Amino acid sequence: MSQEPTKPKLKLAIYWGAACGGCCVSVLDTHEKLLDIVAAADLVFWPIAMDIKYKDVENMPDKSIDLTLFNGAVRNSENKHMAQVLRQKSKILVAYGSCAYMGGIPGLANFFSKNDIFKRAYEETESTFNPEKTYPVTSTSVKEGTLEIPVMFNDVFPLDQIVDVDYYIPGCPPQSERLIEVFSAIVTGIGLPPAGSVVGANDKTNCDECKRKKSDKKQVRKFYRPWEIQDDKETCFIEQGVICMGPATRSGCGVRCVEGNSPCRGCYGPPPGATDPGAKMMAAIGTMINSNDPDEIDNIIETIVDPAGLFYRFSLPGSILGRKVI
Amino acid sequence: MEEPRIGVYLCWCGTNISKMVDVEAVTKEVSTLPYVVLSKNYKYMCSDPGQDLIIKDIKSHNLNRVVVAACSPRIHELTFRNACEKAGINPYLFEMANIREQDSWVHTDRSEATLKAIDLVIAAIRRVRYHEPLQKRTVNVDPATLIIGGGISGMSAALEIANAGKKVYLIERADHLGGQVARFDLTFPHLSSAQQMIGPMIQRVENHPMISVSLNTEVKEVDGYIGNFRARLAQKGAEQPEITFGNIIAAIGLKPFDPSVIEEYSYGKFPDVITSLEFEDNLRAGRILTKYGKEPRNVAIIHCVGSRNRKYHEYCSRVCCMVALKFVHEIRAALPEANIYEIYADMRAYGKGHEEFYAMTTHKQIIFLMYDQQKRLPVIREAHRDDDCNMLIEMNELLSGIDIEVPVDMVILMVNMEAHENVKEVVRTIGVSLCGNQFFIEKHPKLDPVATTTGGVYIVGTCQGPKDIPDSVAQAKAAAARILATIAQGSVPVEVTTAIVNESLCCGCQTCISVCPYSAVSYDEIKKASVVNEVLCKGCGTCGGCCPAGAITSKHFTDRQILSEIEGIMSMSY
Repeated sequence: MSQEPTKPKLKLAIYWGAACGGCCVSVLDTHEKLLDIVAAADLVFWPIAMDIKYKDVENMPDKSIDLTLFNGAVRNSENKHMAQVLRQKSKILVAYGSCAYMGGIPGLANFFSKNDIFKRAYEETESTFNPEKTYPVTSTSVKEGTLEIPVMFNDVFPLDQIVDVDYYIPGCPPQSERLIEVFSAIVTGIGLPPAGSVVGANDKTNCDECKRKKSDKKQVRKFYRPWEIQDDKETCFIEQGVICMGPATRSGCGVRCVEGNSPCRGCYGPPPGATDPGAKMMAAIGTMINSNDPDEIDNIIETIVDPAGLFYRFSLPGSILGRKVI
Repeated sequence: MEEPRIGVYLCWCGTNISKMVDVEAVTKEVSTLPYVVLSKNYKYMCSDPGQDLIIKDIKSHNLNRVVVAACSPRIHELTFRNACEKAGINPYLFEMANIREQDSWVHTDRSEATLKAIDLVIAAIRRVRYHEPLQKRTVNVDPATLIIGGGISGMSAALEIANAGKKVYLIERADHLGGQVARFDLTFPHLSSAQQMIGPMIQRVENHPMISVSLNTEVKEVDGYIGNFRARLAQKGAEQPEITFGNIIAAIGLKPFDPSVIEEYSYGKFPDVITSLEFEDNLRAGRILTKYGKEPRNVAIIHCVGSRNRKYHEYCSRVCCMVALKFVHEIRAALPEANIYEIYADMRAYGKGHEEFYAMTTHKQIIFLMYDQQKRLPVIREAHRDDDCNMLIEMNELLSGIDIEVPVDMVILMVNMEAHENVKEVVRTIGVSLCGNQFFIEKHPKLDPVATTTGGVYIVGTCQGPKDIPDSVAQAKAAAARILATIAQGSVPVEVTTAIVNESLCCGCQTCISVCPYSAVSYDEIKKASVVNEVLCKGCGTCGGCCPAGAITSKHFTDRQILSEIEGIMSMSY
């Protein structure tokens, strides 16, 4: 990508909230193209790669950062604070990756409360030895003064439940090629859709782009996990009894998982028009159960392992369901 | 989208709503909501002045959305849609909130009912904002009618339609017209001859220039939709030329229950245990004789055979009690000295003249014996050769509590009315639904009793449920009137709120095809997308609900509309 010498370089920030680091790696996965990015933009803030303190960001003038890629969900007070700071400092704030977009894998914690999670982590796990039942506290006095750690929230939030978001780039992680496309659109200002759009992805579903053979004969009598079947590498996974999120998932990744003979897990989120991919997929799966006997239907449904985690693997906090309430 | 300008109207429904809902308070509460231009209330919104209020406001305040909070939309949605249309806005830019059946009628606390009314009205306001104009559509109606079944129901409907000068194809599987009634001797409660009634009727049907009767004929396949059906018929297995027609009446009748499954009655084992229809054959032949050609001295009539018993059929067949009493009259006339026993579980005489008929029968010197239908059926066994009768019925007489033996020479079993044996085949061909007892289901049990959920398909007579001759004929004529109305119009409106597929979003997973109850969705191999036939579609929303890609939208029930409605109903916190 070429850069006119007279044009000042863009200021780029990359930040992680509740994230695994994979999104930051996906930026590095642009390989030699990263040099183009750096040629076009100055990285002003990127905790995984650069040593800049939060107070340096807080001291930047408002709207001085041209583009911030925010990955990870908002899980604690630190994530929330930085989301608010970066919103204030950035012209364009992008929710980068499934966690920032929909809540992602950390969002599955919304099937539990903070108390459930602490109890499990600090009392119950097989490797925990904590007879005093010591739990983390957010403020500790030591002789040098008071130490503060962030407050963990009861809920995991996608970025747009905390601050306004300009664009969403889905994926766990996003495909690096798509990042380049979006980045060059932002650099050149050409081909950018209206704010609020999902970019770096298509408007159709993975099922649409999938090369496997499919028919209206989805007659399932038992659901299998992928390793339980001898995949013929040709037939639609669902028709083989393996739940594939492809029909309820936006395309853009190149159907990579299915190309690798693994069912789609839904990381790109719902296609435009589908509000709740988990509910949509459950409704669709419900029609494929090949029985009219209520007991048998129950038994077939029982063969779906961890349905909540399966259907809402990446989308729980951003879905209509949002979290487990009771 | 143009900026919504919503007018909200609350109805008092006299005191029906206003006595339990503070209509004034609701009117005030919703008046400040976004896009609400005005909110008013009136004593009867459905009245002409009420409708005029809406029409005038639409014009003078440039309203483009209307909410009426009143009774069930089942009752007056059409009224207010028409009012909107009169005022020049699309009728689908209207939404109704039900604050009567779902609120004032079912609550006893005025303040809580008022809060609920506010929620319901807010939901409607939030929803109507996203309503989109929809265009009415019609299809032309082929004036011919296909009637399946040549019994009294089918023939009554055929004559009604044919007498109006419209073509009827009357299809009968048997080799003669008349159905069950052709087997009857007399009818209850007037004891008039069934033969004198059905005979001339058959002649009128057969000779009618507008009725084409096909005996020994079955319908193989029906294609199309309301107004535009076509069918292939098969006469004695041989394919007939295709016929086209605009409406269908299913009048396929019933099947008498086979009592041989009831061990206690030994039907099929004892030759003088016969069914009510076999006894009708005796009566028509003019003689009541046992298998050995003797006049029976003792005749028992057992009621509820296969009816009102969980082991066989739980439902009541509705006519057998009166038929049994009719038999008493006929037996008494033929055999003045015979002992006649009515062995009954319950006596049901609810029809016009039926109770009087029962009272009259009790003077015929007969013995009524009651049995317990659930706990202990009477048992028929062979008499001892020293007994002066052929058989004995052992039973516990319920009213006295005493175990008795009844001497009999002939037993008549009042058999239940079962659904016709080829009901499933007809269901498949014409697309109607079955209830748990295998009878056809009507569109609405009270307000639309002869129509079905498939447009242009009507059900009459005993295929809809057990019934007597007057009810069957009434249904037949009702269906005929419905059909003649659509023929007179020349066209019928078809569902507007259908499903549409966004072909660019459709991934071709074909989940929608198997779930459609109306076979309205198909897969287009060229477009690689599902397509909805908008004439067949009833807008049930099943395909939209299960479409994982969100490619199918049900018009007037979009996600945006429904979610806004839900957000509206949840928006107040008390």
